Parts: sequence; structure tokens; C-alpha cells
Amino acid sequence: MRVNDRVFGMLMLILAVAYGWEATQFPVPFGGHESVGPETFPIMLSIILGISSIYMMVRPDPDEKWAPVAMLVELAIVVLAMLAFAWAIEPIGFMPAAALVVSFLCWRMGASISKSVMTGVISSVAIFFLFNHVLELALPLGLLEF
Amino acid sequence: MDTLSLLMQGFAVALTPESIMFAVAGAILGTLIGALPGLGPANGVAILIPLAFSLGLSPTSSLILLTSVYAGAMYGGRISSILLNIPGDEPAMMTCLDGYPMALKGKAAEALAISAIASFIGSFIATIGLVILAPILAKFALKFGPSEYFALFALAFATLGGITGKNQFKTLMAAAIGLMIATVGIDISTGVQRYTFNTLELFEGVDFIIAIVGLFAISELLFFLERHAGDGLKQVAINKLKLSAKDIIKVLPASIRGALLGFVSGVLPGAGASLGSFISYTLEKRTSDKGEFGHGDPRGVAAPEAGNNGAASGALVPMLTLGVPGSGTTAVLLAMLISLNISPGPMLFQQNADLVWGVIAAMFVGNLVLLLLNIPMVGIFVKLLSIPPKYLMPIVTLIASVGIYSVSHSALDLYFMVGFGVAGYIFRKVDIPLVPIILGMLLGPEMEKSLRHALVLSDGDWSVLFNSGLSIGLWIVAILGLVLPIIVGPIVRAKMARSKNSTR
Repeated sequence: MRVNDRVFGMLMLILAVAYGWEATQFPVPFGGHESVGPETFPIMLSIILGISSIYMMVRPDPDEKWAPVAMLVELAIVVLAMLAFAWAIEPIGFMPAAALVVSFLCWRMGASISKSVMTGVISSVAIFFLFNHVLELALPLGLLEF
Repeated sequence: MDTLSLLMQGFAVALTPESIMFAVAGAILGTLIGALPGLGPANGVAILIPLAFSLGLSPTSSLILLTSVYAGAMYGGRISSILLNIPGDEPAMMTCLDGYPMALKGKAAEALAISAIASFIGSFIATIGLVILAPILAKFALKFGPSEYFALFALAFATLGGITGKNQFKTLMAAAIGLMIATVGIDISTGVQRYTFNTLELFEGVDFIIAIVGLFAISELLFFLERHAGDGLKQVAINKLKLSAKDIIKVLPASIRGALLGFVSGVLPGAGASLGSFISYTLEKRTSDKGEFGHGDPRGVAAPEAGNNGAASGALVPMLTLGVPGSGTTAVLLAMLISLNISPGPMLFQQNADLVWGVIAAMFVGNLVLLLLNIPMVGIFVKLLSIPPKYLMPIVTLIASVGIYSVSHSALDLYFMVGFGVAGYIFRKVDIPLVPIILGMLLGPEMEKSLRHALVLSDGDWSVLFNSGLSIGLWIVAILGLVLPIIVGPIVRAKMARSKNSTR
């Protein structure tokens, strides 16, 4: 099967066209037109991307196997967990957020639950103290602040 | 001699207690990073940049720290090649060929020690080469005008796939994507907003450090998850070291030949460390045909190890003098220079002479530290190597996120990092190389600037890009770099595969 490259090439071709079209819409810079405007370089890039994506569709390489759907769902959950961690650093605080996300990641990578929690708690507390007290970079305490 | 006195001044910088401390810390961290499979040197340096940045280290200290990490990672790569038969990074592949058989024969400690010595010789000779070649090249590069620079940037992208590159169009596509990301933000010379969609956060463009950490570290985590590789691999037990002076002398010629070949292929565009270690290994096999190459010949360990360390230092020559890196890791080092507000290129040797020479001197010091560390302390690194990735990767991810977060204390940067991680996962699935993307983001602004300068000077005449002998020469090399791999690539790759299979 050679679907991957065809689909990806298609997406990149759309990107190239949209990007190039957007470049022609830039407002005229203050001081009028010059021989090279802000749009010259982007237009060159969109041509290069366009050519290589057409090549990719015409002569696709064999596919690398995608993971089964269940694994893709799992990867999506991991990505969401990391996003949630990013969101939680400030309101909840670094230590609890990091402990949760590290335990979750360890568990998903195949560690037992108790060992995952241990790794999560120890690493987040250690990194918090290393950063706040040794390296003097302030990480938010969040809920633990009183 | 001018160079020599500058180098002595460099040693004055490198031998202060602070610099030595950073060199030692970098060497230890680097060896660890190199030894852990899946955490290559580019990855490791990328994770450490935001940390060095937010710690507010001086440019010299952070450069010393990170070049030691770079050198250390090259040393570390051999540990997993020898003990696990899995190269820590691509150039360490050839070390597996004789290193792993040696380990299977119960000579793991000897293989590690010999490869440490060979690595030292490789880096040492190549650093001397750097001292000699870099100032000459920097002087030469002063002749470059904007059109030559534009051609040089094109050359850098064209040769990035290397002789062994599989699909040149994918390299090109990756470069275009990187350059496109670089155009996001307010255009420096006209003030026009480009691709910002009126979002305040995009006005300053996309931070390449976030992109690097996301593309490398986060996508690696996703791959580890997918492959269920969390348990790690079985490693060969390590024996007690029995190494005589005779054994060392026996591998010396191989190491020196490897070092020289490695240095040359590191300096040349498009060759890189992988080719350096490959050529060193095949040449060694041919010149000394009586050995038992592929079955644990010590010279088969020494030659490629010297070659890849030589190439690693050699790759710093174009990076420092021209501002054009030849490999993924040097691209990441370039990222650090740019984020420290130091523009590499020929002027670097004039404006920041003490910094450059301090770093070069630190490479000598770092190498000595690495040699001293690696022989007695190899056992400790081996212990750490046996920590399964299921505990290690999440912690590394955490450290990477902390680094990114502490740069500007914004959760948005972390969202971007995860986004780049997902993108990196998809790119790797469709075989789009990541290094040209990074390089495009780094070189984009400079490349556009030189195009602009050239065309403004010529009043919009595009033929200015090809009007000097030098720029035509660069364009020819660029085109060759793009076309040759299509012809030669399959042959070289077949050879590499054959020499790998014949030893199994």
C-alpha cells in the first residue's frame, strides 16, 4: 500500500497553495513596493513545497505501518494527558500535576501501578526541589501554597 | 603564531574552575544521554538548551556545557552499541559490528575501554584539525556576499540528506516546511505581519527551541509507547578489565586513520558522522585483512569509533565558520548560539574570539575528562543504562517540559511543544526527515535576508544570484548534492546493508 504518501502529499499541496495565496494577499509595506517584498520568499517556498508534494503523490514510497486503532487512541489519550499537565501546572501546582502525568506515562509504558506512582511522586518532588532550591527557577506550588 | 596565542587565551578561559565544572557536568550528562537508546545527542542537547537559557548562564559557560554534552553523547553512543547491539545514535551503528561480538566473547570491558581510547584519539585529532582549518575557512568566508550566502544556504539544505539519503524530495519538502514556519511573525525588514492571523503570541514567530524539543523528545516518547519498548533490552554482562599496553598500541594506527577520515567527512557537507564511521570501518577492514572483522576484532571497534568522534568535531567547522551546520546535532548547537544572540559565521572569529577559542580549548579539556571518566566509571553508566525506559522516558519528558516552561512561564509554550510532538510523530511515519525542518526554522530568517540584500543591491535582477564564480561553484555543489544521492545512494546503502548482514 502506498496511501500514506499520497494523502500526506495532498495535504501538503493544499498547504502550499493556501500558503502561497496568503502571501499574495500581504498588505503593501509602508514605503511602497520594492523589488523584494515580504511575499517574495514565501512564494518561492510554496513553489518548492508544491513541487515536492506533487512528486510525493506521483511516486509514493511504500507505507510505514500505522499502529492499530486501539494504539492510536491510546497515543491520543497520552497526548491529552500531556496537554492537561501543561494546563494544570499553574492552578494545581507543579508537584501534583507532574506526579500525576509521570505516573500515568509510566503506567502506559508498562510499569505496574504501584511502581508508576512511586516514580511519579519521587521524580516530581526531586525535580521540584532541584529546580526551586538548587537551580533557583521558580516552579508554581499551586494547591500546596499556603 | 597567531592561532596558537589565541588558543592559549582560550585555555585561560577553559581552565577556570567554573569552566572545568561545566565541562565535567556536560561530559557526564552527555555520556548518559548518548548511552540511553532512543535519546540521541540532538535530543539531549535540545532538552538542555532551555535549561541553560533559563539558568541565565553566560554564553561561554552554556556553550562549554553543551559542547561537552555533544562530545559526551558521542562517547556514550558506543556503550549501547557494544552491550545491547543497538546503536545509541546512527553513527554508532558501525561500532555494533565488532563491538557486540567482542562483548559476547566476554570482552565487553575491553571493547568499552578500546572504544573510549579510540573516541579520545578521534576527537583529539579532529579538534586539532578544527584549530587549523577553522580560522582559514573563516577568513575565506569573509569574501562571501549575500548572493554567495544564499547559495550556501541552498547547499546546506541540498546536502542535508547526505549521500545515503533515501528520498531527496522529502528532504526538500522538510526544508520548505521549516522555512515556512520561520516566516511566521512580523517581517523584520518591512514590519508586515505574515501568517500571524492576528494572534499576539505569533507576532514574534515560533520559538525553534520548543519545536526542537517537541519534534525530537515528545515524538520519541510516542514511538516508545507504540512499540511497547518500555521494558528495555537484555544487555551483555560486563567483565573485569584486562587491557595491556600492547592491546592499545595495536589499535593505535586504526584509530588515527579513523580519526583523519572522520574529520574530513565531518567537514564536508552531506557526508556526516555516519559516513565517517562507515568509511573508517571499511578501510580498516581492507588494509588489515588478516583480522577477524565482524567477529570481534578490536580494530573494528576502534576505527569506526575514532571516525564518528572525528566527524563530530569536524562538523563544528562549517557550523562555527559559516553558520551552516552539517548534522542534526550541530543544527541544535546552532539553535543555541542564535538564542544566545551570537550569530555564527566568519565574523564570530573576530567579534567573539575569546568565546570561540574558549570553547575549542574546552573541547580539549572535555575530551580528557571524558577519557578519564569513561574508563574507570563505565560501570556506573552501564548500571544507569539498565534502568528500563518505562521509568526513564516519562522523567525525561518531565524534565524537557520543565525546561520549556521555565523559559517564559507560559503553558501555551507547552501546548506548542506537545503539538510539535504530534507533528513529529506524523512526519516520522511518512518518512519526512526532521533535521531539515529544524534547520529551515533556524536558517530561514538569514536566508531570506541574504536573498533580499542580493536583490536590492542588483535592483531586482535575479541573475545576481549566479554572477560570481564562487556562487556558481556553490550552486553546482548544491545541485550535485541533490542529484548524486539519487544515483549513488542505492549503491552505498546496499553496501552498508551487506557489510552489516555478512557479520550476522
